[in-house]
Amino acid sequence: MEFDLENPLTHLHQLHSSDDASLFLIESDHMLSPTYLHTLHSSPSDFAVRRDTISLISQCCCNCNIDPHLSYLAVNYLDRFFSFQGVPQPKPWVLRLLAVSCVSLAAKMKQTEHNLFDFQGNEGFIFDPQTVHRMEVLILGALKWRMRSITPFSFIPFFISLFKLRDPPLLQALKARATEIIFIAQNGIELLEFKASVIAASALLSASHELFPIQYPCFRKAILNCSYINKEEEEEMLVRCLKAVEEIVINGYERGMEMEERSETAGNVLDHHFSSSESENTSGIMKRGDKDGKKRKVGYCNNQRVQMTQIQQC
Amino acid sequence: MEKYEKLEKVGEGTYGKVYKAKDKETGQLVALKKTRLEMDEEGVPPTALREVSLLQLLSQSLYVVRLLCVEHVHHHKSGKPLLYLVFEYLDTDLKKYIDSHRKGPNPRPLSSTLVQSFLFQLCKGVAHCHSHGVLHRDLKPQNLLLDQGKGVLKIADLGLGRAFTVPLKSYTHEIVTLWYRAPEVLLGSTHYSTAVDMWSVGCIFAEMVRRQALFPGDSEFQQLLHIFRLLGTPTEKQWPGVSSLRDWHVYPQWEPQNLTRAVPSLEPEGVDLLSKMLQYNPADRISAKAALDHPYFDSLDKSQY
Repeated sequence: MEFDLENPLTHLHQLHSSDDASLFLIESDHMLSPTYLHTLHSSPSDFAVRRDTISLISQCCCNCNIDPHLSYLAVNYLDRFFSFQGVPQPKPWVLRLLAVSCVSLAAKMKQTEHNLFDFQGNEGFIFDPQTVHRMEVLILGALKWRMRSITPFSFIPFFISLFKLRDPPLLQALKARATEIIFIAQNGIELLEFKASVIAASALLSASHELFPIQYPCFRKAILNCSYINKEEEEEMLVRCLKAVEEIVINGYERGMEMEERSETAGNVLDHHFSSSESENTSGIMKRGDKDGKKRKVGYCNNQRVQMTQIQQC
Repeated sequence: MEKYEKLEKVGEGTYGKVYKAKDKETGQLVALKKTRLEMDEEGVPPTALREVSLLQLLSQSLYVVRLLCVEHVHHHKSGKPLLYLVFEYLDTDLKKYIDSHRKGPNPRPLSSTLVQSFLFQLCKGVAHCHSHGVLHRDLKPQNLLLDQGKGVLKIADLGLGRAFTVPLKSYTHEIVTLWYRAPEVLLGSTHYSTAVDMWSVGCIFAEMVRRQALFPGDSEFQQLLHIFRLLGTPTEKQWPGVSSLRDWHVYPQWEPQNLTRAVPSLEPEGVDLLSKMLQYNPADRISAKAALDHPYFDSLDKSQY
């Protein structure tokens, strides 16, 4: 029974109206704490910890060429872990252990055949399985074993059905672009305050604005009229979220172009990646760099116990 | 686990011992279920991860026993990691409730409105699980917990089917009851569906009305004979493919009896619903969702559920 982000409740692939209702009901259980959101905005070092750990997650996933949904899920676990536990000190090994453990948990949920060593690639620390497993248990505890995250992907099928699009290629294009936007937006912190459903609706609207500008007003109306969104408060949320999404999309284009220019000249994308460049935040896909750039093979951690207690304290 | 004070053993669940315990801090009563699940070289086994998280989602329903938390502990002797599932505690179950109406100082039938209400809640819970793609596969009165004060029925022992494997014998080696098992399971069908749970719901429905089990078989063979004696030996016509099932044999030929004779006190709408739950062909058996709309429930005030 593999966990499917688009279909977190059922593997029967049927849309029941009662399921939609329960999705909207339980999504608030998966929200991040206001304290966490505040700290990301106010503390540059916490912001950097999040950004760097996400980079490490992308790197783990790149090492194995994994489905981007898996990396999305891993980052979702990471955010929820930080939200519950607080952001840890920026010790590189802690962040790396967190990244590997979140990816390992996501791979288990998605029933992906995986090997912990593959995730860890050839660079940096390599953790032994016991260490990763202990970290997994800590994460599970913090997340209360709620590993079937309700994400924006869970709401895409519902909102798309409101558009009444009959042409499968158009539907596919819309969905693909919305998915891309959701992936890109996860790296930044602008959307973390919004509910998953609101992000899904905004991503779809933004995608439809790009792809089918003529139908856009009609799509927008369909979403605003839907019973889960039509309250004043939610409508306002949607408008704010849509604005944030559009900014991310525009910045994404500009940064994307910058990235292309840079990657032609800069030899080491990995260094660039760790040099806290803003452009990496929204580019979504981490490019693998020159492997010789940063190689710190530390081998097995031999003072695991001390390290684990440190994590528990943080 | 220092958080909890074990009060007493309340049962041997299919998957291990169940304790009534008290949260030392809040005083809340809980049911602790120790799973036999042990960690191996892959850490928390992926199946357990997927199923416990599914249980977390399912227990959002009012009609499913709430999983409060999952405790990961180390066995005090072997040091092996173990999982405890911490559930809300309910003081009784449907089996005890039916028993108290059959024997004891004041034997009396369950009131028909209560039977209706319990069955409705059971169908609600089962529909919830099925809509999440989860089969229970071991529904029985012992697994239906009751909050007598509120008149609420909740499904327990759910969703762990795959990670914990469906046992033929429980871990204490007592035989797992066959009384609620669907004929396709008894006949060795490998593809079962949500219909297996609806068969169990039907058996439970009849048992609430009769105050005794509808098909109390003590072996798989006897279980089938009990069913066939009441409902008639199934034919290829009513259940295409039945004689090709793995454990099909040549059975005595019984004619179907009038179902009313098994549940004489049940009103005709109830008998009709029961007959739809006890259809031989799984494809013909009523779904939980459809059952909720059956005329039997017309007289029930559905707004309170």
